[in-house]
Amino acid sequence: MHVPDAFMPIWQGAIYWIIALVFVYLSLRWAKNELNEEKLPLVAVLAAGIFALQSFNLPVSMGTSGHLVGGALVAIILGSPFAAVFILTLVLTVQGIMFGDGGITTMGANILNMGVVGGFVGFYSFKGLKAATGSMPVSAFIAAWLACVIPALCAAVELWLAGTFPLEAGLVAMGLYHAVIGVVEGVITVAAIYLIVSVRPDMVDKGVLPAKAGAVA
Amino acid sequence: MIEELFDIERYAYRDSTIHRLDARVKIIVVFATIIAMVSIPYSPVVLTVGAIFFIFFALLWALTRLSPMVYLKRAMLIIPLWGIVILFQIFLKNPYYTVYTPVVVLPFGITIYAESIQFAWILFVKFVITISFIILLSSTTKVQDMLDGGRRLGLPTEFALALGMMIRYLFVFGYMYRKIVQTLESKAFDPFDRNLPYRYRMRQIGYTIGTMFVRSYEQGERVYTSMLCRGYGRHSHLFLKKKGFKPSEWTFLVISLGFIIIIPVMAWLKQVSWF
Repeated sequence: MHVPDAFMPIWQGAIYWIIALVFVYLSLRWAKNELNEEKLPLVAVLAAGIFALQSFNLPVSMGTSGHLVGGALVAIILGSPFAAVFILTLVLTVQGIMFGDGGITTMGANILNMGVVGGFVGFYSFKGLKAATGSMPVSAFIAAWLACVIPALCAAVELWLAGTFPLEAGLVAMGLYHAVIGVVEGVITVAAIYLIVSVRPDMVDKGVLPAKAGAVA
Repeated sequence: MIEELFDIERYAYRDSTIHRLDARVKIIVVFATIIAMVSIPYSPVVLTVGAIFFIFFALLWALTRLSPMVYLKRAMLIIPLWGIVILFQIFLKNPYYTVYTPVVVLPFGITIYAESIQFAWILFVKFVITISFIILLSSTTKVQDMLDGGRRLGLPTEFALALGMMIRYLFVFGYMYRKIVQTLESKAFDPFDRNLPYRYRMRQIGYTIGTMFVRSYEQGERVYTSMLCRGYGRHSHLFLKKKGFKPSEWTFLVISLGFIIIIPVMAWLKQVSWF
C-alpha cells in the first residue's frame, strides 16, 4: 500500500501532499488541544511502538504473510481519527526516509491513504457500528477491515489517475489482497483492544469500553 | 523492517567523505535528485537521465567506502515488492502512449507490447534511482543528524520534537520486538505453524501486539513524566546549535544541485534518448 516515488507524476504527488498537510496540521492541533501540548512525547513514543508492531509477520493464508497497518487500532484506542493521522504521519516519514518504503514525493498520498482515510474510516465506522450493534468485537473487526481495504482501494484509484496501473485490475488486485489481509488486521485489532481494555481500561477512549465500565471510567 | 534498523544505523556510524558531510547537504541533494527524477515525464528521456544519475549515485556510493553488497542487500528488500507491479506493466496499456505495437501474443488474449515494455523500463529506472538515493542518505547519515538537519532546514518544532522522540524510542522498541520474537521462538510458538489452530495463533499474536501497545503507551507515560520532572512544558524550547556549511560542503552542494537540475532539463529540451 506504500506507493513509491516513481509511480506518480510530480504534480499529483504535490496535490496529495497539500491535502495531507492540511490533515497533519489538524492532527497537530488535535494533539495540542485534546492531549495538551505537553503530552506530545507520549504520542511520539507510542508512534515508535506502532512502528515496531507493524514489523510482526502475520500469517494470512497459503503461506503468505501481511503486516498490521494499525490506523484503526490507534484511532479507536485514543478516540480520535487525528491520532491515527498524527501517528501514521510519523511512522510513514521514518519508513519513507530511512527504509525507502513509500516515497518522498508520494508521502502525501501515503499519509492520505493510510493515516487520513484509514484513521477516519476506522474511527467513524467503529463509532457507528458500536452504536448500532453495541458489540465491541464486531464493530472493531469491521472497522479495522474497512480501514485496511478502503485505503488500498484509494491507492488503486491514485495509481489509475497517475496512469501507472489500470483501474479495474488495480481495484481487483489491491481490493482482493487487502480484503484477505484486512481479516487478519480485524482479528488482531479486536484481540489487541480486548487485551488493552482488560489490562489498562484507563488508557482506552470511553467509547470503546462496555457501558458500565465506561460509566466508571 | 525494524530488524534492518540496527544495520542501517551501524552503516551510518562509519566514516567517509560522504558520512562527514552535513546532513542538510545530503538531504537537499537526495531530495533534489528524487524530485528531479520524478519530475521528468514518463518518456525515454527518463532512461538517459536515469543512467547519468546512477553513475552519479555510484560515484557517491564509492566515496562512502561501504560495500556494494550493502546497497544491493538493502535494495533487494525494497525492489521485488513493486518490481512485480512494474513487471506486470508489459501486459498493460497506459495513457502515455497512443500507438501500441504487439511483440508477443500469448494465449487468453494476453499481448506484450513494445511500448509497454518501454514504459516498464521507465518506471523501473525511476524507481531504482529514487530508492538508491534514499539508501545512500540513510546509510550515511545518523538518524539524529538527519533530524537535526531537518530542523535546521525548517521542520516545524512540534513535528520535529515528536519525530525526535519517536526515533529515539524506535531502538528501544526494536530491542523489545527482538526479545518478544525470541521469547515466542523459545516457547516454540511459530505463527506460521499449521499444526496449531489458526484461531489460537491469531489470538496469541493479537495479545502480543496488545501487550506491546500497552508497553509503548506506558513507556510514553514514563518519558512524559520524566520530561516534566526536568522542566519540560508548553513553552519549552529545544536548543539546536547554529551551524554553517564548510566551503567544501558549499562546493559539493552547488555542483550537485547544478548537475541535478541541468542534466534533466538539457535531456528533456533536446529529447536525448540513448536507449
